[in-house]
Amino acid sequence: MKNKLWLTMSTVAVAGTMLLSGCGSESDDSNVANTGGNAANAPANAPANAPAGDMKLRILDANIGGKTPEENAKFEAEIKRLTGIEAKLEKPASDYDQKVLTALGSGEKYDLIELSDLNKLASFVDQGVVSDLTDFVTKSPVLSDPAVVPAGEWDQLKSKDGNIVAVFSKFQGGTMPIVRKDWLDKLGLKEPKTLDEFYNVLKAFKENDPDGNGKNDTYGLSTSGLYDIQGFMSAAGLKARYVMKDGKRTIPYATEAAVPMYEWFAKLVKEGIMDPNFVTNDSGKMRNLFLTDRVGMVTYWDAWVGMFNSMKKTEDPNTKFQAEALESIPGADGSILMRRGDPDFWIIPANAEHPDAAKKFLEFWHTEPGIMLGSLGIENEDYTKEGDAYKLTPTGTEHNMDHGVPFWYNQNVKYPFGKLPGVQEAQDLVTKNATLELTLPTWPDAEKIVNDYALKAMSGQMDAAEAVKKMHDELLGKKLIDE
Amino acid sequence: MKILKRYGALYVMMVPVVAYFLVFAYYPLVKGLQTSFQDYKLMGDRPYVGFTNYNAVLHDSTFWDAMVNTLVIGGGILFFSFIAPLILALSLNEVLQAWYKKLTQMILYVPHLLSWVVIGGIWIFLLSPDNGLVNMLLVHFFHISPINFLSDPTLARWIVILLTAWKEMGYTCILFLAAIVSINPSLYEAARMDGASRWNQLIYVTIPQLGNTMKVVFLLNTLGVLRIFDQVFILRNPTVASKLDVLMMYTFQKGILEIKLGPAAAASFFILIITLALTLVVRRMTRFDEV
Repeated sequence: MKNKLWLTMSTVAVAGTMLLSGCGSESDDSNVANTGGNAANAPANAPANAPAGDMKLRILDANIGGKTPEENAKFEAEIKRLTGIEAKLEKPASDYDQKVLTALGSGEKYDLIELSDLNKLASFVDQGVVSDLTDFVTKSPVLSDPAVVPAGEWDQLKSKDGNIVAVFSKFQGGTMPIVRKDWLDKLGLKEPKTLDEFYNVLKAFKENDPDGNGKNDTYGLSTSGLYDIQGFMSAAGLKARYVMKDGKRTIPYATEAAVPMYEWFAKLVKEGIMDPNFVTNDSGKMRNLFLTDRVGMVTYWDAWVGMFNSMKKTEDPNTKFQAEALESIPGADGSILMRRGDPDFWIIPANAEHPDAAKKFLEFWHTEPGIMLGSLGIENEDYTKEGDAYKLTPTGTEHNMDHGVPFWYNQNVKYPFGKLPGVQEAQDLVTKNATLELTLPTWPDAEKIVNDYALKAMSGQMDAAEAVKKMHDELLGKKLIDE
Repeated sequence: MKILKRYGALYVMMVPVVAYFLVFAYYPLVKGLQTSFQDYKLMGDRPYVGFTNYNAVLHDSTFWDAMVNTLVIGGGILFFSFIAPLILALSLNEVLQAWYKKLTQMILYVPHLLSWVVIGGIWIFLLSPDNGLVNMLLVHFFHISPINFLSDPTLARWIVILLTAWKEMGYTCILFLAAIVSINPSLYEAARMDGASRWNQLIYVTIPQLGNTMKVVFLLNTLGVLRIFDQVFILRNPTVASKLDVLMMYTFQKGILEIKLGPAAAASFFILIITLALTLVVRRMTRFDEV
């Protein structure tokens, strides 16, 4: 009787498990996807030539679209008006990366997904998630035009096999030291060029009451951890993340050349010149310090030079606040290292149901109407147009000309209102000096070690030479570098 | 069959609950177990690879570092989350003014209601070396340099342990207080007649009578030891990560950040197995079945 009961229970459990497993989306769709096929019977890797009629598009994105759910609905209607595509825009409010992963893992079918991490793109290629877009891009009259996207830029979006697997969603700039130019002028200081000049400026920001409130409540420099000290590390010729040297993986921040740089930061911390919260800061806190006259220099994106200036101007039209981008400190050989950020880009997932619509949208996104939609926003909501002249509405002014595309590659499309103050100069520095970092698959593990010891050295918790030695030994011991 | 007919309605009422657990607990568990034996990709073939993922996890030094951190932090939380509310409950029981007792209970309970995002934000602000209240007091009264609590590796684990104990203290304290209230008053009366002081009543009546509640609280806390995540996620930063990264953080890093779902699933099954083992040990040690 007892055996019979167990047998029945086991049978029910096994049958239940099999039944539930059958509910999963594991095999069918993914196998189709992995062969490059799509439910719409059109391979993703082909030119977009289907008519717009009855096209549907399901998009998952972090930045593109309206600022509110209501505006997002209008954004979808505007896409329909401009392209004929019936688009469904899903823009999670938070935890975007986790939502992408959950959606893909559970077999959700999107036609376009926006990403901004090249390391993740490489993982997605390995995981069979993305479609090969080489033929589509090279045969597309829009995207293959070097005036629309410079030919060399596509290298960023290639898989290790050399296939183009994504399409840019906007032009991505770089990071740099951003200084309070009005404070420099007030204290009679010049823009710093060398490490010593930077030290003197930062010290003056700390000690000479640049905000004029009579209190010793300002700092020279704030960062958000190691993000992004490239502008200073350039003085020692040190490039962030990995650098391949004679075919071997090295991390310059973990070499002896980095010791004097960490010592320099430790000196700033010891003398109270650097914001003591820099280790625990997120970028929002760092930005707030800069905007509230607490710190004279931060390290951040080129676009934010303009945003800082614009925000302060909106707050007080008579403000003297002026943010300005600075070039990295030249190394001993005169070379300047600056960081170029990972681009924002679209992928067409291998299980996309409407790849034709996705390709049509990608081409549209790089034309003037697409760019205006991504920057200015929705016509008659964010802006009005009379002839060739654009005029921002109050809503458009509030939205700061950014609906996911503050800057773009297409040189044929002019900025209707110019760029925010200070941005062009910052972008010129990026164009002149910045290069992408090499992010190998082992970087997430290496990054933890680099961050740990570098921040300990910078904050003075550990002797810089000892920190670098331990960092290097640990990286080598865990086979994360080759020498 | 007779029983089924007799209690049929009750079985039908159980269906939603059983279905809930099957769909939201056991199905993911089975899928997780399956994933742990696969070279799991988000799309495409997912071949079975035997114990490769388990092997990879066992040979990953980061996993063992996380194991040490988990046991140290979890052990600390287990100890302080048990002792602190017990002392508090016993102390509050001695308070005679009802309004003061209720007010204190309410104040102590509030942190339990708040998420770790809020609690973390408050304490990151309070412990800041710049304008943090704690450092301002230290500087004012002890004339010492501000301490960067949140980036000091020697303090990191203590901060997580003590904040967790503080956050959950009110909830556990209420469990103990409820048990104290239900102690038979005649036991105290008998003790007083035998000349027991208040201290003796506490030692010989209250604490022994709390035994069963203590066992339940200890067992429940043990179940959560290896599942610490929120507080670590909120309070960690690169300088203290090596002291704080626990097993759940390892799983999160492997699965969500590195998209290595096979090893992440394998690691989560290790956590499950160790939790089961710990629970069994605690049950044996505390003679839980005699509750």
